[in-house]
Amino acid sequence: MAYDQKLIPLKPKALSPNGKGNEDNGASIMRRLPILLCIALSACNALPRDPADTSARIESTRYFTVGSVDPSARDAPETARLLRQIEQRTGARPLWTEGSGETLLGQLDAGTLDLAIGRFAKTSPWQAEVAFGPALSVSGKEGERIELKTAMRNGENRWIMTVERASRAISTEARAQ
Amino acid sequence: MSETSLPDELSEPLEKAIRLEYWNIFWTLTVIVVMGLVLGQSQTMKTAWIEDTLGLVPPVMFLIAAHLERSASRSHRFPFAFERVNGLGFFVAAVALTAVGALLLYNALVALASAEHATVGSIVILGQDIWLGWLMVAAQLYSVIPPFFIGRKELPLAEELNDKLLHTDALMNKANWLTGAAGLAGVIGLGLGWWWADALAAAIISVDVINDGFKALRSSTAELVDGFPRALSSAALSDDAEQVRQKLLAEFPGAAIRLRETGRLIRAEVHDTHAPQSCRHPRHYWPGHKERAWRLAQVSFIPPVKARDEGA
Repeated sequence: MAYDQKLIPLKPKALSPNGKGNEDNGASIMRRLPILLCIALSACNALPRDPADTSARIESTRYFTVGSVDPSARDAPETARLLRQIEQRTGARPLWTEGSGETLLGQLDAGTLDLAIGRFAKTSPWQAEVAFGPALSVSGKEGERIELKTAMRNGENRWIMTVERASRAISTEARAQ
Repeated sequence: MSETSLPDELSEPLEKAIRLEYWNIFWTLTVIVVMGLVLGQSQTMKTAWIEDTLGLVPPVMFLIAAHLERSASRSHRFPFAFERVNGLGFFVAAVALTAVGALLLYNALVALASAEHATVGSIVILGQDIWLGWLMVAAQLYSVIPPFFIGRKELPLAEELNDKLLHTDALMNKANWLTGAAGLAGVIGLGLGWWWADALAAAIISVDVINDGFKALRSSTAELVDGFPRALSSAALSDDAEQVRQKLLAEFPGAAIRLRETGRLIRAEVHDTHAPQSCRHPRHYWPGHKERAWRLAQVSFIPPVKARDEGA
């Protein structure tokens, strides 16, 4: 993590008597450009952060809680692949939690569950309450399509991004969205 | 005065302003598209996007008013042509700004009160997963550039034309960097994990929208109810009009002078006084620079009326 990167101050140089001050400043900036780019890139990596520190907690405790909204979702091959992928990226193992669909999504909203997996309609009524990841697989006819996808707590943007990346890594369906 | 309500000397600057407003609409549309592509769930982005969309109202109203002022002649149905249509456009723009600003402020306060956490995920660009927040930052930066330059070009034209609609648009455009800065702070704050930064930035932007709208509403309402002419940039009384009043008072001591504004033009009524013997053009009474004398379009004299005549 590069959260504590310190900015290197760029002090303006006084104009030299031979009038080359601006050139010197330009050259100085050019010399420091790689450092500035590194800082900018590390800043890119540092954001986003989670308001409730979900990613940091998962990293330190080395586990994340996951619940299956319906039984078939837990047994789906995409689920196993996704959890392995998240495990590789975070170094944390999944810890399954039992519960019914509504209870699990409520736990997500309350911050007591990290990840829910289930089959949802494309326009789920839970859309405003939780953050859905990209669909891992799709079944059903056009207009009644059901998507196997993950749900996370709203606003935990770094954790959401980690799950989105993992989803795209294991599913062509997710990559296409 | 021409057959239309537009003074002849304003044809050229109005032509320039019309061209500028077409460019304004074009660049505003590009900002709306760019911002719309990366909106996400961010309240800041939605508010800034709506503000940008609202930014179309003043130039569109200006173009409609300018078209009517330039091409619509006086007729039996419209004997004064359409010189007040600019004021009407100004009022419509002011109502739209104030109403939408109030709605946006309400949404931001509700988001703050209910501690809504905005989700901003990632997208894939050229095979790279990128946080959508960075694209929002880029869009916010872009949204500041066109209005900054257009606003600077609009200001002198608004003063030359004494056009309040154009002037409001110019000030809104010039002040857009504030919206951009608040928007940037909101998105970066969201990235830093400060869930409240997004709604707070949205609230600040909406207060700015309400402020713009309220100032315009005060000024435009004053014109519609025949108030004393107002200054171009505020709801204060116009210095030009005050000088006209002083000059008329000096020429006709004891008379009651009533001034009002119809669009960019001032109309004066001199009560309890007979018209002078010699025929004078209204511009004769303009106290300032002659090139601005077109502002005074009418000076009417209402002779003293005896109490018996009044009752008749």
